[in-house]
Amino acid sequence: MKTVSLKNIFLVFLKIGTFSFGGVYSMLTFFERELVEKRKWITHEEFIESVALGQMTPGPPIVNTGICIGYKLKKIKGALVTTVGQAFTGTVLAILLAIFYTKSKDNPLLGSIMKGVGAAVVGLLLSIVYKMARKPIKDYKTALFALSAFFALAVFKLNPIGLILASGILGLIVYGRETR
Amino acid sequence: MILLKFCWIQIVVNALTIGGGFVMLPMLHQEFVEKYHWLTNQEFLDAIAMGQITPGPLTVMNAFIGYKIYGLIGAVMAMVSTYLPCIVIVTLVAKYYYEYRESVIVYSSFKGIKPAVIGLLAAVAISLGKASLVDPKTFGIAIISFAVIAFTKIDPTFVIVGAGIAGALFF
Repeated sequence: MKTVSLKNIFLVFLKIGTFSFGGVYSMLTFFERELVEKRKWITHEEFIESVALGQMTPGPPIVNTGICIGYKLKKIKGALVTTVGQAFTGTVLAILLAIFYTKSKDNPLLGSIMKGVGAAVVGLLLSIVYKMARKPIKDYKTALFALSAFFALAVFKLNPIGLILASGILGLIVYGRETR
Repeated sequence: MILLKFCWIQIVVNALTIGGGFVMLPMLHQEFVEKYHWLTNQEFLDAIAMGQITPGPLTVMNAFIGYKIYGLIGAVMAMVSTYLPCIVIVTLVAKYYYEYRESVIVYSSFKGIKPAVIGLLAAVAISLGKASLVDPKTFGIAIISFAVIAFTKIDPTFVIVGAGIAGALFF
């Protein structure tokens, strides 16, 4: 592992956060090209381990992968710098959009645009459900977890934070004795 | 008080959900829209769209929501409370990676949470659909958006921008 300055870590993650559109896989490819192939800051194995860690910790997996890499390079300072770098451009743009959005709230054209956008987001969410469901839902037990959570929220309006906790505990009971 | 509550919700949601920005939406929707009425359904959908069209993680949508609720300070605090739990948890896990990976508690509880969050996301997508799909045109946009993102490799950003243009032309 090379010694890299915090400034350089920040700049690379700023680049990653600024030029990466379009979901998890394109972002991970970008990560690997910048950090492993071009700069050789980490090895391929370290990269794979960071991706795995990002996926099994709470929070957004890509951000977590970045935090893990930052931590490997420069401990807690590296972790902070990768997070800020990755989120910086998006946050600034989101704030600018929010300022514009609150100012032109009553503009009828914006209303029409957002009506179209809102409908597209519903389609987007359903496609995410469709894509996500193919991997972890593979037998009747996992399907039962997904369906019970669905009905508990859609029909019985139970609190989703409570439902997450409950499914974690149920997972522990159901799968806890399984040997891997 | 609103700001504190807002940050606390972000911290709890980020510390509990496994599987990415989208699976946090049911929790955020419940707290921000249903419980505290800080946002309408339409504003919540708009926030998701903003998170999607901006580069970087979807979670920057929280800055948009933070600004809407509490101005610039709200936006900055939203980012701090979104990423703080991640930094704490990931650095701890990175230190004890092998113990964590082999832990039965982590493995088996995540095995329950992973399918459950998909069910929750489906439920919230339907509830948002009820609010925003009000006529054949909006239904059409949602179906096209679903099909394009689910079955092609086209970036969702283009779909959202396209739907905005369609909205400007047809509504």
